[in-house]
Amino acid sequence: MHRVAPEAGSASNPASSPAPSPNGRAIILVVERDPHVRALQEYFLDEAGFAVEFAPDGVAALEMARAVAPYIIITEILVPKLDGLALCRAVKKDPALRGTAVLVFSILAAESRAREAGADAFLMKPLADRRLVDTVRTLLETCSRASTQLPTGRSSAGGSQP
Amino acid sequence: MIRDEPALHAEGTPFDLFPRVRTGNPQADDVLGGGFPSNSINIVMGQPGTGKTIFAEQLLFENAHGDRPLLFVTTLSEPLTTVVSYVQRFDFFDERKLGTEIQYHDLGLLLASDGPGALVPWLTEMIKTSRPKLIVIDSFRAIHDLATSIQEMRRMVSDLAGLLSAYDVTTFLLGEYTSDDVQRFPEFAIGDGIIELARNPLSTRDERFFRVLKVRGSAYREGQHAFRITDAGLELYPRLVSPRIPEDYEPRLERVPTGVAGLDAMLEGGLWRGSTTLVVGPTGSGKTTLALQFALEGVRRGEPTLYVNFQENPAQLRRAIASLGMSAEEAIARGLSLHYESPVELQIDSIIVGIFDRIQTEDIRRVVVDAIGDLVMAASDAQRLHDYLYALVQHLAVHHVTTVLTFESTQSMMSTIDFEHRFSYMSDNVLLLGLRGEERTRRTLRIVKTRNSGNDPDVRELEVRAGGARIV
Repeated sequence: MHRVAPEAGSASNPASSPAPSPNGRAIILVVERDPHVRALQEYFLDEAGFAVEFAPDGVAALEMARAVAPYIIITEILVPKLDGLALCRAVKKDPALRGTAVLVFSILAAESRAREAGADAFLMKPLADRRLVDTVRTLLETCSRASTQLPTGRSSAGGSQP
Repeated sequence: MIRDEPALHAEGTPFDLFPRVRTGNPQADDVLGGGFPSNSINIVMGQPGTGKTIFAEQLLFENAHGDRPLLFVTTLSEPLTTVVSYVQRFDFFDERKLGTEIQYHDLGLLLASDGPGALVPWLTEMIKTSRPKLIVIDSFRAIHDLATSIQEMRRMVSDLAGLLSAYDVTTFLLGEYTSDDVQRFPEFAIGDGIIELARNPLSTRDERFFRVLKVRGSAYREGQHAFRITDAGLELYPRLVSPRIPEDYEPRLERVPTGVAGLDAMLEGGLWRGSTTLVVGPTGSGKTTLALQFALEGVRRGEPTLYVNFQENPAQLRRAIASLGMSAEEAIARGLSLHYESPVELQIDSIIVGIFDRIQTEDIRRVVVDAIGDLVMAASDAQRLHDYLYALVQHLAVHHVTTVLTFESTQSMMSTIDFEHRFSYMSDNVLLLGLRGEERTRRTLRIVKTRNSGNDPDVRELEVRAGGARIV
């Protein structure tokens, strides 16, 4: 069940670290139903130098996460099959995804619920491009620092940044 | 300005949790409950020439802080050059902000060739490439004329709402909408805020009104608020609303001498502080003399006093004051403020709000308005005048300001009887002056009503001579 990240994952690293996409960009998995939000996320994140993948619902997102080991999952809470908070909890429980940060990006003012579910960051909609990109960059720095300092076997449940 | 708590429309909503988009006009922000909520979609409706574009331009310049651009998109109704050249005459115009900060775009050709459906893809590209903070579309209503069906507009409006609510942007859709359109057009269903600007042409001038029909999650001030368009943009006079009585409010049980010999005795010692007294009588019955004596008595007692009049110009009024035993210069030096406005220029909203501002800033203790009948002529709407005066009287009472209003009972207007009745009703005391006799005119005074006080109910003679009026 635990999979090593398919791309560029080193075999010596049994628990997957997030891996860049083939063109060297950090992969961000976005779970979002709203077509306008999706279009803007894709545009602004791509422009900021990330590789963006989309999942239509929480279940698909979890499968894709296990397949591509994204650096960051950005999820709305209100998504089908598995809601964003449940997805967040599942990601945080999965040792194979412990290097993956979760950003809950929702229309709901649910920051404390998101934090309880283990989210690394919370942003409320609507999309403010600078805030989104800044938050993603901060998460990326935090998780790459964490993974270089603690390449394997982190002791405590990770991810919660100050 | 007026410092009443606005009525809370959305009960319990923490309306100031959301950042606000300011209009550039503090009074309009006040009426809106602090401005427009950011990330909202707002409709500014009004017939041509009501000031919609100026309102939007003022708002844009106010919000041009150099962080993110603001888009002004024209569709069809006014060519871009007209809009840009027109806005230059206003004080808020700043040409350094044009171009990168405030971007003007003319979509007329695109919409005419590709139809209303072209708007959202164009805006999506603008959002991606320019990241605007504010978008104004003028006129949005004109896009309806390009649609081949209402379904086409519905789809477009729904798509537009989706885009605008996905991104951190506040939008203003301007249009020559009528009140029928509010029920008919789909944009009114997606609007978080709806503002109406109206113009009511009168014989000598136009009355303009600003009205908030809706602002989601905001405590806004209901009703029509008068405004003028000046070089500064919109100048708004928020409708005076009756004050909430403060919890520690207590009527001052203190008598205020009138300055008219013999009258205080008829009133058991004077007028109650904070009360309003209506002095009614025909021309020449001594109303102005009596009102001036009341004002000068205040001055003698060190009470800042405001004398508002619409008839006598300042020179005439100074002579009248001097005849009562104190020079106008001395009276002014000791705290008398004279406020004169020509009745021709009068707009009820600006005059009442102006009076109210002076009362607050100058800590006025006594007020005379001579004569309120002149306001009747300035008001296009009787109910509105009544509401204003009622609110003013309430404010004065709460602030313990003692007030005398004069009213000429023979003013040849059909409606004066009605007004006399209304003013009597809102006043605590009513003094009726009269003229009698044929060979020698005798003036009379009768106390018709006193609230919370006994009085002398007899008709008394009021003698008016050099030095002032007195009860014989």
